Amino acid sequence: MKKIKEIVNKNSFATTVYPILFGVLIVVLWQTQILHKILGADTFTLPMPSRIFDIILANTDSIWTNVVATLIVAIGGLIVGSALGFMLGVLATFAPKWGAGGLTVIAAFNAIPIIAIAPIANNLTKDLSDNPEIRSMIAKMIVVTLTCMVPMSINVNRGMTELKPFSLDLMKSYAAENRTVFFKLRLPNSVPYIFTALRVSVPVCVISALVSEYFAEFIIGVGRQIRENIVLAQYATAWAYITVACAIGIILYIILLIAEGITLKGRK
Amino acid sequence: MQRIKKFFTSKQMVTVVWVLGIMVLWEIGAFIVAGTKRSPENVLPHLYQIVQSVFSTKLVNGSQTAFQIVLSNAGLTLFRAGIGFLIGAGIGFLLALLMNLVMPIEKIVFPYLMVIQMIPILGMAPIILAITKDINKSRIVIAAILTFYPVATNTLAGFKSVEKEKHELMHSIAATKYEIYTKLLIPSSIPYLFTGLKISAPMAITASILVDTLQGGGGLGCMLSQSLKHAMTIYVFWQIVFFSAIVGILSYYLMSLIEKAVSPYKRIHK
Repeated sequence: MKKIKEIVNKNSFATTVYPILFGVLIVVLWQTQILHKILGADTFTLPMPSRIFDIILANTDSIWTNVVATLIVAIGGLIVGSALGFMLGVLATFAPKWGAGGLTVIAAFNAIPIIAIAPIANNLTKDLSDNPEIRSMIAKMIVVTLTCMVPMSINVNRGMTELKPFSLDLMKSYAAENRTVFFKLRLPNSVPYIFTALRVSVPVCVISALVSEYFAEFIIGVGRQIRENIVLAQYATAWAYITVACAIGIILYIILLIAEGITLKGRK
Repeated sequence: MQRIKKFFTSKQMVTVVWVLGIMVLWEIGAFIVAGTKRSPENVLPHLYQIVQSVFSTKLVNGSQTAFQIVLSNAGLTLFRAGIGFLIGAGIGFLLALLMNLVMPIEKIVFPYLMVIQMIPILGMAPIILAITKDINKSRIVIAAILTFYPVATNTLAGFKSVEKEKHELMHSIAATKYEIYTKLLIPSSIPYLFTGLKISAPMAITASILVDTLQGGGGLGCMLSQSLKHAMTIYVFWQIVFFSAIVGILSYYLMSLIEKAVSPYKRIHK
């Protein structure tokens, strides 16, 4: 028992220390400008970490309003898209032939570039509201919804149909109704698959929120600030927003991992 | 005759019906928009109008028709996306191999692989543009970065998925490390590699179009933003939307085709 603990400790030691050391090495190289020499960049396009950090600290208020705008779009779209995808996955389970065909068509949506959807969504929502803030938010949310819907619907459908061998026969031998089969067998079986889908769609929702902001009418959001600052040649500020965008993605992913750990605790 | 019959009851037919359904929905939307908006072609044109604009011979920018513009710029964008995709896939595969061979590299790199996908591509584009000083190079680099991540993680998962018994068998017949990799690990990682490629092929195209919007000088994205600003007919925009969607889907199917060609076992299973 003690031995196992030691091994685990040693392993987790390696998992955390190696990447941190590597990260520190990169930051040191960056700060001492060796990285600039390797990449052939100058401190104007690739500012020092300390300067980026200073800018984040100096502009916390404006960064925060942009972060909130991005988060509303990303999480709102994620929730709506996942709910829609879940419903589609369930529908496809009950009508296997037509549903599966529909899912392949929806899966093809995944290959459509976000930049093609974003302007269409913009145009479609032009008349929804007089307030440009609200209507561009809806447009951005549509884009995120579409991108998050696909992985969820496919994975839920798999979770509902890829059951343990004979479990469906067992339910039938109990003369279980369709409803009982759904709630007692299919739904619990699909929970790990839902998390698989979320692992795909959480990073995607952040990225598509950022990209859809580039095309939105109303100038707000972390992604838009990156672009605006680059247009103004404020590379340091742009880097500050890039750092914030990365932080958003990573924090959302960690939250997801924690939620997954709690929900699937007894399963593994 | 039987073939035709088979086709009508097959999966393809279901897909065709679905596509038709979506087209009907689009047309209903287009009719509503046409009734309420002053310039419906900016919001939701009829599908036949888009098809018409593909075949129209009217010159849009003096020397080219709308479709010629799309095609000539698509060449620029897709070629770069393709090169970036190949480079990224190569690096991704090699990295997965290295990660599997050397434990510390896996420990170091894997967390950063997770982080890389969080970094917004367009945010990186101007930086790479400033470093490479060439929009074509930055297109390739960004497509490569986007490709290498899914390929690396999926291939690594492929290496890890090989059962312990197979490893033990290889050891029992005194196979060398080289043989284990070429005879066991690499062949069994190929389906995973293709999963990665299927994810990243449309992404590489998206990335390349996105980079186009940064700067003038050709490319689908550049034309897309110009058309949106009404610098040329709006149908160029709609054509690009459909073109990129179709190319994205085709790139996915191209990967499945190549997969089928290189892995015969796939045909037996399905």
